[in-house]
Parts: sequence; C-alpha cells; structure tokens
Amino acid sequence: MEEKYFEITLENIKKFVNSLIENNNYEIIAPKKTGEDTFYEKINSFDEANLDILLPKLSFKENLLPKTESLFSYSLSGAGIVIDNPLENEEREAKKKIIFGARPCDAAAGPIMEKVFNWDYKDEFFNIKFKNLHIISIACGKPDNYCFCTEMQLSPESSYGSDILLKKSGNGYYVTVVTEKGMDIINPFLDMFKDMFKEISKEKIPPAGKWKASYDIKKTHSFLDNNFEHQYFQEKFLSCIGCGICTFTCPTCHCFDIQDEGTLKGGRRIRNWDSCQFGIFTLHTSGHNPRVTQGDRYRQRLMHKFKIYNEKFNKYLCVGCGRCSRNCPEDINLKEITKELASL
Amino acid sequence: MNKNKIDEKLQKTAKGLLESKAVNVVIGWTKGSNPFRMRPVFITKPEDVNKLYFNPHCVQDLAVFLKKPEVKKFGRTGIVVKGCDEKALNTLIQEYQVLRDELKIIGVECMGVIRQNIADKGESNLLETTVYDKCLICDVHTPLIYDYLVESDIPEIKISGSVKPYAKIKELDSMLVEGRDKFWQKEFDKCIKCYACRQVCPLCYCSRCIVEKNMPQWIDTNIEETGNAQWNMIRAYHLSGRCIGCGECERACPVNIPLMLINEKMARDIYEKFGYRSGIDINSKPVFGTFSESDFNEFIK
Repeated sequence: MEEKYFEITLENIKKFVNSLIENNNYEIIAPKKTGEDTFYEKINSFDEANLDILLPKLSFKENLLPKTESLFSYSLSGAGIVIDNPLENEEREAKKKIIFGARPCDAAAGPIMEKVFNWDYKDEFFNIKFKNLHIISIACGKPDNYCFCTEMQLSPESSYGSDILLKKSGNGYYVTVVTEKGMDIINPFLDMFKDMFKEISKEKIPPAGKWKASYDIKKTHSFLDNNFEHQYFQEKFLSCIGCGICTFTCPTCHCFDIQDEGTLKGGRRIRNWDSCQFGIFTLHTSGHNPRVTQGDRYRQRLMHKFKIYNEKFNKYLCVGCGRCSRNCPEDINLKEITKELASL
Repeated sequence: MNKNKIDEKLQKTAKGLLESKAVNVVIGWTKGSNPFRMRPVFITKPEDVNKLYFNPHCVQDLAVFLKKPEVKKFGRTGIVVKGCDEKALNTLIQEYQVLRDELKIIGVECMGVIRQNIADKGESNLLETTVYDKCLICDVHTPLIYDYLVESDIPEIKISGSVKPYAKIKELDSMLVEGRDKFWQKEFDKCIKCYACRQVCPLCYCSRCIVEKNMPQWIDTNIEETGNAQWNMIRAYHLSGRCIGCGECERACPVNIPLMLINEKMARDIYEKFGYRSGIDINSKPVFGTFSESDFNEFIK
C-alpha cells in the first residue's frame, strides 16, 4: 500500500483511542504503569496508558507467542476420546488486538519473528495472532544507553512492522499509515469525524533525525563467522548465571518447548516459552550436552541473532531494544558485547 | 583515577592473594553499564586488581558463582562479600557445598545498597527510602566471618521509621486465607518462568532442579495458574530455613513478584518455631537437617 499521511491533535488522539475501546472491535493494549514499572497491558481508557517512558519492561511478544499455548486438548468420554483443536476455535474467536503506543523496535519484532514461523512449516497458531495484531507505534525521541536499534538497521523512527506510526508534533501527532491493516483501523473515523484525521502531504512531516550507528554490525557478524572457539565467550560469560531473562524479555526470541500434561480424564499438548540459556535446553537423553558452559550458551544466542538468522533472512534477530541488558541481573550488556566483537 | 580508601584496600588485598597464589581467582565487583550499575568480575591476574570496586551499587550476591561449574574449576577462590552475601557462604559451608579452607573471604563493611530500579533513574544517595528492605533490618553491616575486612567510611543510614520494611507481611498475615490466596494468585500470574529467581540464588545449587525432573512430572510445566503456583511454592519450601535474605530473587525478577515477602515470612516462622536463623553459625546443623523430639510438631495430627 502507498503510505498515507495525516495530522491529529492530542485531544483527538485521546478521542480516537477511547472510541476504539468503546467500539469493542479491538482489544487495546498499551504501556501501562503497574506497581513501579510499566508493562504492555490491556487498557480501558486512554488515560491508563503511560506514554512518557522509553520502553515497557517486557515486550508484547506474549500476544504473538503466549507463555503457554494449548496445541490441542483431549478428554475421555465413555469409551471414546474427544479431541479439541484450538485452531478451529481460534480462527472464529480470535479478537483483533491493537498495541497502542508500541515503540518502533517492538513493532519490528513482529515481521522478524514471522519469518521464523513460516520459512518451512507454516505455524497457524502464530499466523492467526500475527494477522489479528495491529501495531500503532510512536516514534522514539530519546533512546538511552542500552538502545541500539540504529545498529540493527532500524531507527527510533522506523516504521518497519508498524501499521500506523505516530510522530509527536507541536500539539499532537503526525500519522503515517503504513499498511492496509492500519487503514482499516482509521477508515471508520475518516467517515465519522471529518476533522479528526487531517490528511497532509509527506513533506509536512519533519524528516527523520540523522541517527547514526556507533559500530558496524556486519563486523560483529564476520567475527562470529570466524571465531567459534574464541576465548572471549568463555571469559565474558563467566558472570552469566544462566537465567532466561535475556531471552524471555527479548521481543524476537521465540524458542519453545512442547510438553504434554494430563490426568486420567483428559489432557493437552502445550508449548511453553523456553530458553537457550538453560543447560537443560540441549541436554541429550544420553546425558551428553553439546553446550557445556554458559559461555557456549551465550555464544549460541549471539550466533543465532547476528549470524544464523542473518544468513537465512538477511535481517538480524534483534531489534536493539536493550531489554536483555537492562533486565540482566549481572549487567551483561548486549550493545557493549556486539560492539566489542565488531572491534576484535 | 580518584581512588578512595575502600577500593584501595580491596585492590591491595586481592593483589596480595593473587600474587601469593593463595587463590586463583578473586570474584568481586567492577564498573558496569553506567555509573549506577556495578557488575561481577573475575580477576585472575594481580595486575588486573584495579578493576575492583565497592560502593552502594554493588547489589549482586557474588556467592551465587560458587555453584557454577566454570567457576569451581578455578579451585581456591577469593570472594568479596557484603554481610548478607557472607551469610550465604556460611550456609553453603554448613551444607558441605563449599570448603571453608578453599575460600578466602574478603568482607566489605556495607551500610546498604541502593535499589536497582531507583539507581537506574540516577539515584546514588544512601537513604532509608532508597535502599532495599533487607538493608533496613540488617544486623550484619560487618560480615560475620572474613579473612580480610575492608572497613567502610560510609556513615550508617539514618532510620526515622517512616519506611516499614516488609510491612506487607503483617497485612497479609491479618487477611483471611482467601484474601492471601487472591493476592498471591495475582502475583504468580505474572510469572514467566524465566527461573531467574532460582539462578540468581546462591543457595539454589541443585544440578537438576525439581522442575527439570519429569519422571514423574512433579511440577506442571505450564506458565499458567497451576504451573506458576507450583513453581513459586516449591521454590519457597526449598529455601525455608535456608534463605539468608539477600533478596537477589526479588531484585532479578523481571515481573516484580515480591518474593522477599515469602522468604522473610518463612525465615520469621522458622525462627519462631525452631529458634533458628540461617547463615549465622557454620558449626550448627541446618534446621531441616536435624531432628529433635522437642521440635515443634503441632502440625502433625
């Protein structure tokens, strides 16, 4: 679709979001303050959204890949077995969702993950959710020291993965509608409220800032290509305790573990979030583990993000949001690491 | 570089230990991602000791690394500990996980550490309102056991009593079971089972955790109501009478589950029923490792 551009006032954006909530066609999820931190959560009015922060503590990945997802369930009924296929129900029931106030880095994670779930096997569980998820993102003004979207071929203002991108203007937002999905959201409003979205030309939107990468991620890639056995990994990740925080808070990490659970009366097959940082992740039944140390495991994370994925899909499996670094209990900093590797 | 007395003594002590080959590695803190974050560092060469620092941003309990196979390979280890972290060493020694003779304990006097989420916003003042609850009830500013002590010139925090540490415990205790259940259900619902609470805990050292045992499957694998409740409860039980209250689990938790309310409540119950406090005396037997006929046993009916 050819992009369309509008202007909207602060007052109207509030009205717009509140109408979306009232119309109940979509579930609206936005950064919401819960306790001391902000998470992406369902909001019941625009005022519940906390848009003044850089990033929510976790990404909205859960809306694409739930922490636990039933693949099918069964129950015993007399001598027979009744099997319930959630895909049949899900197609019918899946409610459309809008993430309002996402950041461009989080938005980019959607299409990056989508490739993994479709390159061979078409993962319908993921695809239905991806189809129903609409992203209205707000461009970032001021990335912090952990951010490195610019190095990941994105930018604080990039529209990749967004259906609608908002950019702050004097008294509201400049609106770039990127996709048909985005158009579907605002079309009813164009008819109903004449002055809500004022169409403008692209030139009216101030050009994107000159965001510069502080190092070349291709150099990180080429280091990883040639230095599988490098001592760096073993030394640097001595301080890694092997929790899954970096992978679980990552918007693009997508590994899962398939498990069965049940009783005498029924049960289900589920997939749960899993992490390559767990020793048991690669433990063979024989007792052999090809990834012995935490250095081996963190190297795998780097390899997957900055080498393997790139070779297959020509993008990086990282949006540079910096959550892995901010949330790491031992202060392992991915921006610092990818930068160091680029200069080794 | 502007060196203060604490860092100077710390670095000198580590240097001596490495030069004399009394230890092969010193685990300490070094500067992190920003001025308000510190991170663990492993020093193996005497010339690297100037990387060692101590300040109120040294939140990590470094005793956690003693369980790590890669770190065990170093053999004799020097470790920098605050008072609370040192209690973890005591429990590890009591439980035969670490040999006292293999350790050189460099204790640092600590007046409290600043809560990381506040520090991330630029806070570096040591105040009643900026430190962890554990610091407000701390009675081990000077570690109980040490081979070397790095004294601190940081003044004690002025406590006015306006902040009530672990106040929620009293509130929860006064609730009916249903209310408590609802509270914890809501908290556990947030859990993403990243197991950071386990990994960051110096006393969670099982080479195969109960959640990883699947014949039978003791703990539901799902990251929903049943699995989350089972995991959080089994974690609490396995640490009752053992947890020394370093608070690392709660600090690490990416979804802010108030795990210290559970740990502290367990510790209080153990003290009340058995008169035992963990991590205090390396010569005492762990409370659940001993049996006495006079033990509290009213719960057996």
